[in-house]
Amino acid sequence: MPVVRLYYEDLEEMVGAKREEIMARMAMMGADIGKSNEEDYVDVEFFPDRPDLYSSEGVARALQGFLDLKVGIPEYQVHPGDVTMEVDPSVEKVRPIIGCAVVKDLEFSDPAIESLMDLQEDLHWGLGRNRQKVAIGVHDISRVVPPFTYFAADPSFEFVPLDFNESLSMRDILRLHPKGVSYASILKGFDRYPLITDANGDVLSFPPIINGELTRVRDDTRDLFIDVTGTDPVVYKALNIVVTALAERGGRIESVQVKRPQVDLTLPDLSPAMWKVDVEDAKGLIGFDISPEELATCLARMRFGTRVRGRELEVLVPAYRADIMHPWDIFEDAAKGYGYDRLVPVLPKTVTIGEAHPLETKKSDLRDIMVGLGYLETMPFTLTSEKANFERMRRPIQDQEITRVLHPISELHTMVRTSILPSLLEIFSINQHHPLPQRIFALGDVLVRGMTRQDLAAASIHSSADFAEVRSVVDALMRELSLEPEIVASEDGAFLAGRGADLLVSGTKVGSFGEFHPLVLRSFGLDQPAVGLELRWDHLWPSVKS
Amino acid sequence: MPSQEDKLSTLSPRDRQVLKEILEGESDPRKIAEKLGIKEVSAISSAEGLAERGLIRLDKKVEEVYALTEEGARYAEIGLPERRILETAGVEGVPISEIDPALKVGIGWLKKKGWANVEAGKIMPTGDSPAGKDEEILEALSFQGETSASALDPEVLKVLKSRGLVQPSTYKSWRFEITDAGRSEIETRTLTYGVTSHAVRGIGQITPDMIRTGKWDEESYVQYKGEQFYIRPYDVTLPAERIYPGKVHPYQRLLSRMREIMLEMGFSEIKGEIIQPSFWNFDALFQPQDHPAREMQDTFYLDSKAEIPEYSRVKEMHEHGGDVGSTGWGGIWDPEVARREVLRTHTTSISIKYLADHPNPPVKAFSIDRVYRREAIDPTHTPEFEQLEGVIMDEGLSFANLLGFLKEFYSKMGFEEVRFRPGYFPYTEPSVEPEVYIEGLGWVELGGAGVFRREVTVPFGIDHPVLAWGLGVSRLAMLRLGLKDLRLLYQSDVGWLRDVPSLARM
Repeated sequence: MPVVRLYYEDLEEMVGAKREEIMARMAMMGADIGKSNEEDYVDVEFFPDRPDLYSSEGVARALQGFLDLKVGIPEYQVHPGDVTMEVDPSVEKVRPIIGCAVVKDLEFSDPAIESLMDLQEDLHWGLGRNRQKVAIGVHDISRVVPPFTYFAADPSFEFVPLDFNESLSMRDILRLHPKGVSYASILKGFDRYPLITDANGDVLSFPPIINGELTRVRDDTRDLFIDVTGTDPVVYKALNIVVTALAERGGRIESVQVKRPQVDLTLPDLSPAMWKVDVEDAKGLIGFDISPEELATCLARMRFGTRVRGRELEVLVPAYRADIMHPWDIFEDAAKGYGYDRLVPVLPKTVTIGEAHPLETKKSDLRDIMVGLGYLETMPFTLTSEKANFERMRRPIQDQEITRVLHPISELHTMVRTSILPSLLEIFSINQHHPLPQRIFALGDVLVRGMTRQDLAAASIHSSADFAEVRSVVDALMRELSLEPEIVASEDGAFLAGRGADLLVSGTKVGSFGEFHPLVLRSFGLDQPAVGLELRWDHLWPSVKS
Repeated sequence: MPSQEDKLSTLSPRDRQVLKEILEGESDPRKIAEKLGIKEVSAISSAEGLAERGLIRLDKKVEEVYALTEEGARYAEIGLPERRILETAGVEGVPISEIDPALKVGIGWLKKKGWANVEAGKIMPTGDSPAGKDEEILEALSFQGETSASALDPEVLKVLKSRGLVQPSTYKSWRFEITDAGRSEIETRTLTYGVTSHAVRGIGQITPDMIRTGKWDEESYVQYKGEQFYIRPYDVTLPAERIYPGKVHPYQRLLSRMREIMLEMGFSEIKGEIIQPSFWNFDALFQPQDHPAREMQDTFYLDSKAEIPEYSRVKEMHEHGGDVGSTGWGGIWDPEVARREVLRTHTTSISIKYLADHPNPPVKAFSIDRVYRREAIDPTHTPEFEQLEGVIMDEGLSFANLLGFLKEFYSKMGFEEVRFRPGYFPYTEPSVEPEVYIEGLGWVELGGAGVFRREVTVPFGIDHPVLAWGLGVSRLAMLRLGLKDLRLLYQSDVGWLRDVPSLARM
């Protein structure tokens, strides 16, 4: 989740409240308060559905409402501007959507510049899916001459990218510029790349990769041109979030004519969306009893515009809100505006009779038996590797049985186990400094041919562990489970020849047990005799199914 | 100063045996060890403990002793090199060039000891070569073995040492003696210590025959086969050998307790497959197909695709918001993406599938199972962990009911103070993050909850509100078991499992 660094002094000034007052309520607005250096700033995480809170300006705007300092929908004036953006049909295939705006008369303090840069990065992540869907460019407009053109250029086209001294072709930027390397995959497969140039052919931006050095924003920059490009109409939301944040800093928003092959647009479009919601629905969902007027107050506190129309409420949603998809999204904000801490919890009256899952009931019975036999329960990971699951056990890899994960994070976790015993031997291997005998067991999931199955495994290690010991345990277990399996000699390489056995129920193998082969023991770094058993038990009783 | 009680009650059975031997006059650790069938070092170590308690006196003497080196032992056998050269030389003498190279080291000693002179390249014996003190010592050491330095001539020892023929070592000799304090203490607590001057014989273990045929009195005495015995009492305050019971894993105890609470509250337990199609893990929960949580870096994908149920309403919901007055996510919803299989990232996939199969109210269901996230292992992250998850679906339920349920649930878990903070989950609205107050830690976020969005429920014909909540149980376990490292739950330390009490504060 995006973290926004809020400088107390800056925040106090923008909100118009003391930091104590702000911090006392901030969490209840929907935020995770993070680290703070006490003196100057606090880092706050906001939820991914609220990109309008990814800047200190946006946070200040929301706090003003939440603290009842400035409620209702914020008004932003868009002054008619004289900049035009020509959109060439050639971008249709590669990156069709563009939104632009001009914001003038800015005075950049340090926190303001930091906030703008962070906002840009967070929007690239949050709304932009790592620039795929949305990429934002911010330019010093005084360096270039409108009208601008957005078109798809040949990769051999050269210009000086940001942070470079000499010109590079767009193709080379993707190879050599750090940003080019990071985002080249977005343009993979296209033979022409998006480019924004001015009337003289000078480059503003090569979206979604890098701006031109020419329009770099400097300390003395006063007027900005903002371009937002992408593949989804959420581009316009991102534009609105950026320009309204800048307007909160005192910027003057001017419109840009975006001339497109079909329909021309005047952007930014900051007109609010209007939703009609039913007051009774809101009361029913949240479970509070409030009047339409009170509900309107709660929403105004969350910076919505509201008008009561009988049992209906007209709600104006600010153009920077990207999360309102359904009336319940508005109702949740009403609950926040009301205060989660003021809601009265009411136990639901729903009457049902609880029922344990037979699989869990059986598991619990098996656990009791193993504990009674003196075994200590363990709960190892189910992720393992071919090496541990098969090779160290001297068992052939059963390719058709295994579930491998596509992008393992470590060599130790490449597949989900098909057997629990190897995990028990691993536990022995890390516990060699503790006194013997050690007797442990585990109950849990294994994955065989893509299906979740239930195994019980147990193992014992000490200087006189032998087949007779594990046979006694298996016999006791079988008696307790009312099972009369057939026991036959096993071919299982994990066990010493003549000291391993398979358990058959109705002719089907349900488990095996025996004395581990010393090569198995050594592969787990063990030097004491050990025995083990494993039982697949989920289909042994007709009443139990996965 | 600790009381006598303290001094004595901490004696081990071996200490007591050693103490008994000393009381009976034995002062040599080697003999005590022989009698008790233990190692000498064990007897010494016990005695040191007894001495610390003031029960015995312990005299320790450290002596320097000498023994032959390998070379010294050989010379003791065949004679020193100078002696052997002399033997070869006879009275005529012998040219140096003819002397065995191995003996040449003796030439200097011949001159030094005045046994021979060197003239024109020949060794000429002086005829005066009595047995030296060095030769006597070699012989004595060869015969006696280790010998105290005090019994040997220090000057000669020095020479032999410099020739590498003898080597020193230290030898500790011990003498034990009972102190008055020890004697009086034992006499006042004779029975307790089983070290006694009793007239009757003590017995450690009673036998079946003794139980059947012995004549028992009120105390610990028995007439058995015509003799009187007393049954040696134990010091009941002493710890015995440590044994370890089979045990339920402490984390499992916590899971079982939570399961009980859910059953007590009328919930039905549900289970499901580890492998889920993205459809149930993400799409059915209205997670857009380009949502970051669906990326490879967070989710374990498999190289396989699954059949998915009829999806037209889900597709419609994602693209346009269906008929519930939602905008949907826009874009194109791709059934192929929904077919990709994953290791379930949350048990919510099981909950929504269960609700889809049981769309009529009321439903109260829960599960406790393992979920998988593509995370590197560190003290607070594991790629798999348990989640507790529950849903309540019924007519007329509200968010306030969810809070009411949560408060009750956490109170049953032992958390009296609960507060609610706004939260965010893609499939619930409103969403809440419950926090519980833990002494010493303050407010701790514990789980997440919310009301399933209409976009989630309506495609499956679920027309009533669904209250849902989930809890990462391993986090709770860390708090409850006082662990700093999550890995300990899964990579079991047998010592920890043995030591952690079954009835830890839960």
